[in-house]
Amino acid sequence: MRIKLTSIMVDDQEKALRFYTEVLGFEKKHDIPVGEYRWITVTSPEGRDDLELALEPNANPAGKVFQGAMFSQGIPIAAFEVTDIAGEFSRLTAKGVAFTRRPAQAGPVSIAVIADTCGNLIQLYQPM
Amino acid sequence: MLLRHEGFRCLCRARDLLSEVPEHPLSIEDVAREAQISPFHFIRQFEAVFGATPHQYRMQCRLDMAKRLLANGQHSVTEVCMEIGFASLGSFSGLFTRRVGETPSAFRRRVRAMVQVPGTVPAELTPGCLSLMSGLPLSAFPGSIRSFREA
Repeated sequence: MRIKLTSIMVDDQEKALRFYTEVLGFEKKHDIPVGEYRWITVTSPEGRDDLELALEPNANPAGKVFQGAMFSQGIPIAAFEVTDIAGEFSRLTAKGVAFTRRPAQAGPVSIAVIADTCGNLIQLYQPM
Repeated sequence: MLLRHEGFRCLCRARDLLSEVPEHPLSIEDVAREAQISPFHFIRQFEAVFGATPHQYRMQCRLDMAKRLLANGQHSVTEVCMEIGFASLGSFSGLFTRRVGETPSAFRRRVRAMVQVPGTVPAELTPGCLSLMSGLPLSAFPGSIRSFREA
């Protein structure tokens, strides 16, 4: 049994693909039409290319409620590891990304939180 | 852009206001006032956080609501138009067609044809990872197929 795929709900798949590739810097692996939606996955150029993140359409009303509540409570839905969190803060801020928490030490890691423009908060962390 | 806790909370409140369809909708300036942010900064911050301007976000919420109502099949297109706060059927139909790719009545016919249990939402409107994966070609899983053949 392996962990090969995880997913994140997004309110607009095209917008999400742009944000996760052009802004965050991930690479598109799959983009296959499935009915009125698409099967889109991205991988990290800094990690293993067989670990995929699916950008899943959030058309389920229950999913929208869950996503909205997590967002309003300031709870990140996923976390990505970075090697230079201060550098990411500068790079992403220059690209117009909104941070709800600037990089700060929290125990053994330094963490920051961004809005992904698709209804989610994402935590960035750098092990110290 | 760094949002303070209070600013973030106000933007979430604004998002909730924009997703509602009250009898007398607030203008974007009214929503900005409710969020205690100047209209200029409100639009800029809202777009950075939610990926759409407040107006675009409000329209998308209304179209999502229209799709749900049409899929449930208990309202006519005209009733749905009124329900989501549009005064003009022409404006509603035009916007819906541009964004969804088919007219509201065509959408209603297509989606209603998929409904198997009265009153439930068609599976096509509630996709999840697994339902999406079930529609993928085998080429989407090259590693798995190789393993299967080797087995």
